[in-house]
Amino acid sequence: MRSRVSPLTLEVLRGALTYTAEEMGISLRKSAYSPNIKERMDYSCAIFDREGRLVAQAEHIPVHLGSMAYTVKMCLERFGETLHEGDMLISNDPYIGGTHLPDITLIAPAYHGGRLVAYVANRAHHSDVGGRAPGSLAGDVTELFQEGIIIPPVRLVKGGAIDREIAELIMSNVRTPNVRMGDLRAQVAANNLGVRRIIELADRYGAETLTSAMDAVMDYSERRIRAEIDKIPDGVYEAEDYLEDTGIDEKPVKIRVKVEVKGSNIKFDYTGTDGQVDGPVNAPVGVTISGVYFVLISITDPTIPINDGCFRPVKLIVPEGCILNPKRPAPVAGGNVETSQRNVDVLFKALAKAVPRRVCAAGQGTMNNICVGGLDPDTGKPWTFYETVAGGFGGRYGMDGVDGVHVHMTNTMNTPIEAIEASYPIRFLTYKFRADSGGPGRWRGGCGVERSWVLLAPSATLSIFAERTKISPWGLFGGKPGAKGEYLIRKADGKTIKLRSKCVVKIERGDILIVKTPGGGGYGNPLLRDPNLVLKDVLDGLVSLESARRDYGVVIDPKDMKVNLEETERLRRSMLERTAE
Amino acid sequence: MSYMFRVGVDVGGTFTDLIAIDEDGNLVCVKVPTTPRAPELGVVEAFKRLLSIEGFEASGASMVSHATTVATNALFGQFGLELPKTALITTKGFRDVVEIGRQRRPEPYNIFFKRPKPLVPRRLRYEVDEKVGPRGEVIKPINPDEVRALAERIRAEGVEAVAIGLINSYMNPKHELEIKRLIVEASPNIFISASSEVSPEYREYERISTTVVNAVLMPIVQRYVENLIEALGKIGINAPLYIMQSSGGLVPARDITSKPASMVESGPASGVVASTFYGSLLGERSIMSFDMGGTTAKAGAVIDGRPETVMEYEVGGSIHKGRVVKGSGYPVRFPFIDLAECGAGGGTIAWVDEGGSLRIGPVSAGAEPGPACYGMGGVNPTITDANLILGRLPDTILGGRMRLNPKLAEKAITEKVAEKLGLSLHEAAYTIIEVANSIMAKILRVVSVERGHDPRGFTMIAFGGAGPMHACALADDLGISKILIPVSPGLFSALGLLISDVRHDLVKAFMEEISLLEPEKVESAFKALEARGLEVLRGEGFTEENVALIRCVEARYVGQSYEIMIPVEAPFTDEADELVGRFHERHEALYGFMAEEEPVELVNIRVTALGLIERPKLRRLKPGGPKPPARSLKGLRDVYLEGPESPIECPVYIRERLKPGNTVDGPLIVEQYDSTTLVHPGWSLTVDPYGNLVIYRG
Repeated sequence: MRSRVSPLTLEVLRGALTYTAEEMGISLRKSAYSPNIKERMDYSCAIFDREGRLVAQAEHIPVHLGSMAYTVKMCLERFGETLHEGDMLISNDPYIGGTHLPDITLIAPAYHGGRLVAYVANRAHHSDVGGRAPGSLAGDVTELFQEGIIIPPVRLVKGGAIDREIAELIMSNVRTPNVRMGDLRAQVAANNLGVRRIIELADRYGAETLTSAMDAVMDYSERRIRAEIDKIPDGVYEAEDYLEDTGIDEKPVKIRVKVEVKGSNIKFDYTGTDGQVDGPVNAPVGVTISGVYFVLISITDPTIPINDGCFRPVKLIVPEGCILNPKRPAPVAGGNVETSQRNVDVLFKALAKAVPRRVCAAGQGTMNNICVGGLDPDTGKPWTFYETVAGGFGGRYGMDGVDGVHVHMTNTMNTPIEAIEASYPIRFLTYKFRADSGGPGRWRGGCGVERSWVLLAPSATLSIFAERTKISPWGLFGGKPGAKGEYLIRKADGKTIKLRSKCVVKIERGDILIVKTPGGGGYGNPLLRDPNLVLKDVLDGLVSLESARRDYGVVIDPKDMKVNLEETERLRRSMLERTAE
Repeated sequence: MSYMFRVGVDVGGTFTDLIAIDEDGNLVCVKVPTTPRAPELGVVEAFKRLLSIEGFEASGASMVSHATTVATNALFGQFGLELPKTALITTKGFRDVVEIGRQRRPEPYNIFFKRPKPLVPRRLRYEVDEKVGPRGEVIKPINPDEVRALAERIRAEGVEAVAIGLINSYMNPKHELEIKRLIVEASPNIFISASSEVSPEYREYERISTTVVNAVLMPIVQRYVENLIEALGKIGINAPLYIMQSSGGLVPARDITSKPASMVESGPASGVVASTFYGSLLGERSIMSFDMGGTTAKAGAVIDGRPETVMEYEVGGSIHKGRVVKGSGYPVRFPFIDLAECGAGGGTIAWVDEGGSLRIGPVSAGAEPGPACYGMGGVNPTITDANLILGRLPDTILGGRMRLNPKLAEKAITEKVAEKLGLSLHEAAYTIIEVANSIMAKILRVVSVERGHDPRGFTMIAFGGAGPMHACALADDLGISKILIPVSPGLFSALGLLISDVRHDLVKAFMEEISLLEPEKVESAFKALEARGLEVLRGEGFTEENVALIRCVEARYVGQSYEIMIPVEAPFTDEADELVGRFHERHEALYGFMAEEEPVELVNIRVTALGLIERPKLRRLKPGGPKPPARSLKGLRDVYLEGPESPIECPVYIRERLKPGNTVDGPLIVEQYDSTTLVHPGWSLTVDPYGNLVIYRG
């Protein structure tokens, strides 16, 4: 029987549990060594109940949402034994609830007076876990084994101390062991802090009250999400979209989903999605789940506290062996960074039919992973620079998409150009919005960006892992697609080479890399867009005069840069008639 | 007779507070409503009230210090203030840097998020074909004809202010200054702000953003300062006017107009300054300041006798769990006294959401209609209503000028909270307070625990109208065992204005490995900054005896992109070797590890130039005995302090009648004109020689 927790204790403990997860994150960020954790903030922290159900998660990285819960459940099951006080599990196995090998998760039990009351866990993206290429994100591998060290759930910490033998084994398989160890220690410290806070709460409120409050917190979120799902019209909503290729061949890969809403329950069925492929774009089921939860929270109410309760109304069918639930040992490095984005696109597309005003048109749909490195000509030391580049956000009901921003499953920061120029042999030439890249619509898609630089070193290796260079981000309800992405190398002699979206190439001094990221799709018929907003975009140089006329039916006099209202109305009427035919 | 006196005026959202202190330390306070559209009118009104008091004549004012929200309000788009038409000039290819920012969404799960509206529309962001490299080398020189043509265009556009922010200008300001010269040539009266002058540090987005905010504010602040000086002059106040900066330091009003971005958070900073001063008076070096007003609560920390300061802040951003959400506002890079903030003030509304959970804020009933018990039409229960129901607040406040109606509070709490949650009236009111306390405890944790400071070693100074009511409960939560309630909690922030020094912050970027640096080069750069600081202070009437120069450096491991600040002594030549060791130690203290094998890079050197202002003397009061005088006891009241089940009978004292030395054990209540102090069981209260209430645990 559940004891009733007073509204006071419930509200206070709900806040305290979320705050504990946040405080773990602050501790992790402070004591980590690598820039990827410290500055790009690529990590997540969460609290779980005795049964491994998610109770509270800090708002860190969307792609970790939900997948953390899955990881903890799978790892505890697989480990099988009891985790004692002072023990901590480590794992990065994508086939035991993980995402891709660089994401390492640590799980610790919290005991109070000898009784298990909770688990805490944190996940951090390590910038190298061995494998074929530095950074462990190679675009051309065919097996998981080439992507780095695979760590099954084992105890990294036993009785409060790090197991030297396990640590040695891991460190012997990665490229920068001291940095890795520094980051792992920070992860251990973050979990220790989480456990300490949980014990303090149990001391203060009693273990019984704490665990009852956890139940109540999850029930609360379930009530709120059910109230929201209830508002979605019952029905079956289907959609499909494609990854443009697999990295090792040119075949597009289909993702298909059928969403079934009935009362306050919602089912996601991926039957009909293409099978797993040889290239590294397979997404472990944990990543697929994250996309589902991200979309569910986005279209309902992002202020609902995220925990197991939010997931109870959800039923998921992902056929084994498909690209969203591959079988070992398919490679998965890009599933987390690219396939996860396409999964979200498909889900929004399906739900657009159910809740048209709560979704967005397709955003850039990629993270534009770019890695460049070589030997520094002055020092002879190796250098590597990794970044992801923003693009257009999709148009929304009543609101344009946002220009030049990270979309959906990622939210990491850029590195200042002045910092890059001071540290690496590259010089930037542009960082600006791409005109006419936002999909025309009543609410325009966000513009992609152009980011370009010239190589100052004699040579370097450039690797790209991206998407949406062949298939445009789609618009909604008459909105037009956003511009596709482009990766170009301009040689010193002026010749331009077009690169594939997933490639590894050699470049030389004077070569210019031009990255043009995709724009977001438009929302609604562009002929219904307020002509003054079109004029504003034209004045701001985001939409050309030609596009204003061609896509929006807005006639602007180039002499005085004013809208010719009569001409515009006539043009729009004839364009509307043409579409009606 | 007439006095010589100094005046502090703090223009807040609701009230304009004026505090004057004479040479003997006598304090006089005035509170008038703020006049948002023309804040100088409220200031003048406050002065008129002061001058109506016997002995205060206009000619006696020796210095006026002023905190204002005029800059913040402009950026929040409040009170219909139009932003001046502003242009940006930047390096070719980079005009969108200022809008892309750090490419992050402020709320990752909200697909309906918005970016803050650009302060300069894209069409007014102009590019110049030039480039300076990362070591300051000119890669592509400026073509003056191109800039002249641009200057003409800007003139024709009718732009009021111009920001100049070129890539890598922090290493070489030559191009920016050249552009500035040519623009001013074409438009002599234009407001202009160059990034290499405003914030000569690396990170282009933050530097350009700071410069744009600065340029936008220049016309607004200039106009405001001129109006204020004129209005004060009309009533005979001609004393020098100083403006409070976000750093907690003052600056002469005529100088703020070139760096108005340094004053965006000036009001809240002064509360922490006042806390620091009180701390020094009482020998306390670790202080947590807790300021709770009508709409928000704010926490700050004083560590080792100095307010915690950050070097960057997002103006106009939204707040989540005490912190400004990254990417939700406009970054401004100046020293800011670090504050954590939450939407919990006396007027904050309690409500029950769809899932049946009690929520506090963020909506506030504000000054109008105010809490339900004010009887001005408010129907939603607020924190003040809950305090009234629990017997914690008296039913008249402001010295009897305002009656609180418990019936209205009861109705609001019953209908909007108690019935929905199935609670009794007192259970509901008690829950509202406890939930509000748990939210406020978080901001206190942000400034202590999150920074690695154990709150148990702190003294809390609680102020603002509502601070003293909640201080004990919060101190219990954090394990703090000493609280100080200053004499006039509602006017405490304004007091900070009377005890600040004049402050100028100067910075120069280095970006070189320390082991490869010639210490003499650093020393001469320090000397140059100091000379500049001294020169400015001399121009403001300070002599060398009244000036303090504080040096520090910012360093990091090569490859990192965050810095650690380390104070250094002069001259730098003797210090260079030691510095690296101190950096490792500091890094370990902050982040838990050091990397002795890694090279350390000097990023910036900084000089803070202080023009020292004589501290006012606070008057010691005539002591009384340990027992409070009988006439200070107002009566007994039933107060719900330890749960909603049954009240505890508490003595209620009148603050103005308590004497230094008086000591009483909790539970008890102390009432005064602008605040009510609640002392929980297990705490005891003593009045200190200055009339402050000091509350100890045990």
